[in-house]
Amino acid sequence: MKSLAVHHAACIAALTTIVVSGCGSPAKYVETGSPESVVSVGDVDMQDILKASSGMLESLIETGILKTASAKPAQLVIDKVVNDTSSQFDVGELLYRMREQLVNSGQATVVTTFGANAEDKTAQEQLRAQAFRQGNAVDGMPSPDFSLSGKITQVKRQAGNTQQTTYTFRLTLTNIRTGLEAWTKTVDMTKQGTRNSVGF
Amino acid sequence: MNPALRFTLCSAAAALTACGSVNTTYTRTTPSATAVPTKTQVNDVLTQIFLSAGEVRMFPSKGGPLEVQVDVINNGFSYRGFSYRFDWVDANGSVIPSQLSVWKTSNVPSGGSTTIRAIAPSEAATDFRLQVRRADQ
Repeated sequence: MKSLAVHHAACIAALTTIVVSGCGSPAKYVETGSPESVVSVGDVDMQDILKASSGMLESLIETGILKTASAKPAQLVIDKVVNDTSSQFDVGELLYRMREQLVNSGQATVVTTFGANAEDKTAQEQLRAQAFRQGNAVDGMPSPDFSLSGKITQVKRQAGNTQQTTYTFRLTLTNIRTGLEAWTKTVDMTKQGTRNSVGF
Repeated sequence: MNPALRFTLCSAAAALTACGSVNTTYTRTTPSATAVPTKTQVNDVLTQIFLSAGEVRMFPSKGGPLEVQVDVINNGFSYRGFSYRFDWVDANGSVIPSQLSVWKTSNVPSGGSTTIRAIAPSEAATDFRLQVRRADQ
């Protein structure tokens, strides 16, 4: 009798597994950032990063600020961009997309060997040594026009079961020669819902 | 028309349009100087009925590359969300791949309009293509 009950329980468990797995959608590829993407209420999604990157680039190009640089193309150094949200993602996802557009279109170059937070320390050391050997320790070093810094913040609110999160991406371009802010832009994204979903 | 039927129809129309609808005031009565003619290929009739493109303006931005602004009008009875993407093309009609061409979202209230805009990635862009799709509700 007991073994019959166990057998029935096992059959039910197996059927449940089959039904549940049968109802799910199989894995597939979707275009990155497309309207078929997963939308998370309380997290920054890939499409949010793409939108922020696009908005920042549009503003940079629209204002023509990079064309005011003394170097052609403008020399840019990437400083810190802080992710001050509870969502875990690499800010490089935002910055590398911007760099790709600016550098590959010839509108800017990124100096990776400048300052205490230089991206490429090996190249910086090599450049310093070379400049020292040639006796032009100052002139031989790169002299960027702008420094890019920023912050990503969030404001979370809730009404009943509905959650709302606003993510704000802020970037600032500082003229290194004057120390003054040359350009700044905020891109907001507000997401609302009770649960994550597929598609927007 | 039967007064009772007229009252019912008026009430229904008011109920449909009043909630969340906006009234818009314009001073401009003629097309903008930067307005350009457009052509739309309709594959989703419902989107076309409720969301339609009004004036489309294209002009050089301060930085040089073109800027486009499209007025999107909601002729429906409810607040509507939509996704859109601008692709830029060069003088030969070839698409210019860029990080600027991504799907974005916007909302427009019933009876209202919103302006979506985009900046071309470079001076090589001479024209654009806009794709609009209804948001999943």
